[in-house]
Amino acid sequence: MNALEVKNLSKSFKTVKAVDNVSFNIPEKSIFGLIGRNGAGKTTTIRMMMNIYSQDSGEVFLRGKKIGNEFKSKVGYLPEERGLYKKMKVLDTLLYFAELKGKTGKTVLGKALKYLERFDLKDRANSKIEDLSKGNQQKIQFITAILHDPEFLILDEPFSGLDPINTNLLKEIILEMKEEGKVIILSTHLMDFAERMCDNIAMIDKGKIILDGHLTEIKNRYANKNISVSADGDLSFLSNEPFIEHVESFGNSFGVRVKDEKYIQDVLKSLIAHNVKINRFDANSISLHEIFVSLAGTEINEEKQEVK
Amino acid sequence: MLTKNVIAIIKRELMDKLYSKSFVFMTLLIPAIMFLSIGLQTLFMNIDGDDGTQITVVSETELLNGKIKEQFEELPFIKSKYYKVDYLVKSSGDFEKYLTENKQKLVNNSKKSIVFVPESVLTNKEVKFYSNNPINNPLFSKLRDPLNKVFVDLYFAGKELSDEEIKYARTGVDFNGFRITKDEKVEEEGVGNLVVSFLFTFLLYMSLLILGQLMMRSVVEEKNNRIVEIILSSVSSKDLMIGKILGSTITGVAQMAIWLSPVIVLISTTWFALPKEFTLSLNGLQVFYYLLNYFMGLLTYLSLFATIGAIFDNDQDAQSGIWPITLLIMIPFFIALSLTNNPDNQLALIASIVPFSSIIVMPARFTLIDVPLWQFLLSIALDIAVLFVIFPLAGKIYKIGILLTGKKPTWKEVFQWLKTSN
Repeated sequence: MNALEVKNLSKSFKTVKAVDNVSFNIPEKSIFGLIGRNGAGKTTTIRMMMNIYSQDSGEVFLRGKKIGNEFKSKVGYLPEERGLYKKMKVLDTLLYFAELKGKTGKTVLGKALKYLERFDLKDRANSKIEDLSKGNQQKIQFITAILHDPEFLILDEPFSGLDPINTNLLKEIILEMKEEGKVIILSTHLMDFAERMCDNIAMIDKGKIILDGHLTEIKNRYANKNISVSADGDLSFLSNEPFIEHVESFGNSFGVRVKDEKYIQDVLKSLIAHNVKINRFDANSISLHEIFVSLAGTEINEEKQEVK
Repeated sequence: MLTKNVIAIIKRELMDKLYSKSFVFMTLLIPAIMFLSIGLQTLFMNIDGDDGTQITVVSETELLNGKIKEQFEELPFIKSKYYKVDYLVKSSGDFEKYLTENKQKLVNNSKKSIVFVPESVLTNKEVKFYSNNPINNPLFSKLRDPLNKVFVDLYFAGKELSDEEIKYARTGVDFNGFRITKDEKVEEEGVGNLVVSFLFTFLLYMSLLILGQLMMRSVVEEKNNRIVEIILSSVSSKDLMIGKILGSTITGVAQMAIWLSPVIVLISTTWFALPKEFTLSLNGLQVFYYLLNYFMGLLTYLSLFATIGAIFDNDQDAQSGIWPITLLIMIPFFIALSLTNNPDNQLALIASIVPFSSIIVMPARFTLIDVPLWQFLLSIALDIAVLFVIFPLAGKIYKIGILLTGKKPTWKEVFQWLKTSN
């Protein structure tokens, strides 16, 4: 059974349809990625799931039952735009947000101290939030999201503004929580992270879901005519080859799509013939980024045609 | 209404406000401001700006001159050289000449003036005042009584009247106020109740405005800081609003109780014997009503201030959107102040019952006159009814506004929020 099912959610702000008939399923014990550009409708969707916004239409089901306010105590939330009471002390802040989730007492206090230690902030327990660096405030914010041991964890762009060490620490904790059987919802525009961490994804663009499902399945579906090439030099000549459907540059690597699987060897031949130094040649491989660009990109083109 | 979440929020608000330095500061500061402003007002009233006034009193006869001089030299403001007075005797013909000679001096110096006392004062009490500032009320009120005494004395001098009769004729009229209360007691009214009425009005006005501003800023801060999104992932916007309002209200009532403790001690004990003119006719029930009224006033006004805070995402915009509520506090404040002139007028009656203004006007009114019970009950009932109307509306605006940032919404948009179903 799915932990959460989102069915036909829609929400408009004035004339703008921010979320348009969005549906997806989030399985138990997994990391789910809600992926899209800034302004695609991710945050609005998340807010509706938590009943912060009320939707214009559609429903959300929690383990088969229509979701209600009880979900609020089961969920930990790290919003994209972070904020804490500046004048409040670190430990008081943590305990207050846990209390709002219905958790009080010694267990919470103990856990709070443990997390502070893990994030290397134990000596700041009695500092005021405003005296902390921005990165440290981020860490406190993350602890407020997980301190009450939620069944669901919703993280909106969790890695923005964190240094690599703390990014890794965060990833570590997220994976731990997955091990513990929690459901983690990751909203991000960073395809790399999503690709490495998520079991399932939904891609959202301009308020609409353009792709959703199990990540491996999706990649397999899109990868069979795709080659991921990492090479030094200019690969633009490939576009002129008759068997090539499409070449896309991602800086150091290129996504190459052939018209049929049987042409993959021809690509390799052509690269060698043009004296290109190949660092990596990965047949039947596609990155989430490529999938996203191919899907969202087409849509942009379609729109342009309509305007014409 | 009092869910666990609301209580958690109330607790935080109390920690934030009640246990803060600013609470102690405000609790001390507001009475200080109040006494300072009363003090300043009294001071300003006493500065007539007539320091160094030079008067030349020209009398038509020696007799008048002598008596006036005798009377004037007794006056404290002349004794202390605060006013400088010269005395001359001139016939009316000579006076005309004297006046022409001194015209230039009078024009150039507003402190200089000439009072001409003709002999005819003994029939009509009319004196002439020459100055470039011919309507000088402070001076007139200072000189009117002493001159009157002189004229009365001279007028009755040859008329075989006893000193007592003359004394009677010299005395002005003195109004003594008596309060008639419902239980048909007749009590001499001191200024005590007037002072308390002013105290009540001023405290209500100041603390509603200040606590309201604080509430608004706290909502704007939460919105601006985006804390509100995390809070709303845990509690509903309604719980958040109620928790914040109740937290501030409890703080406010506690503060008011501290301010009123001297009054409570005064009326409930006989430890302090007040001078008769300061006696208070106020009972514990009225003080309780005042606190209850303040409690409801805070709920009402703070919900309005919170709503304004939720509409705007920065202090400046919020300040500009706050004027309707400020008016809602200021107009009743001025009505309440006007009560000291005549507490029993139609405007006061209506203003002490209708919602919003009753919160400020009723306390001032019941300290000054006996208010029938039905008026108390009606005003409370209306206050409660208003709360039931504005709380859901405020909640709606709050829920939508609290998450909107960016462009400042127009009032029209805000009214549209009210029409949304949830």
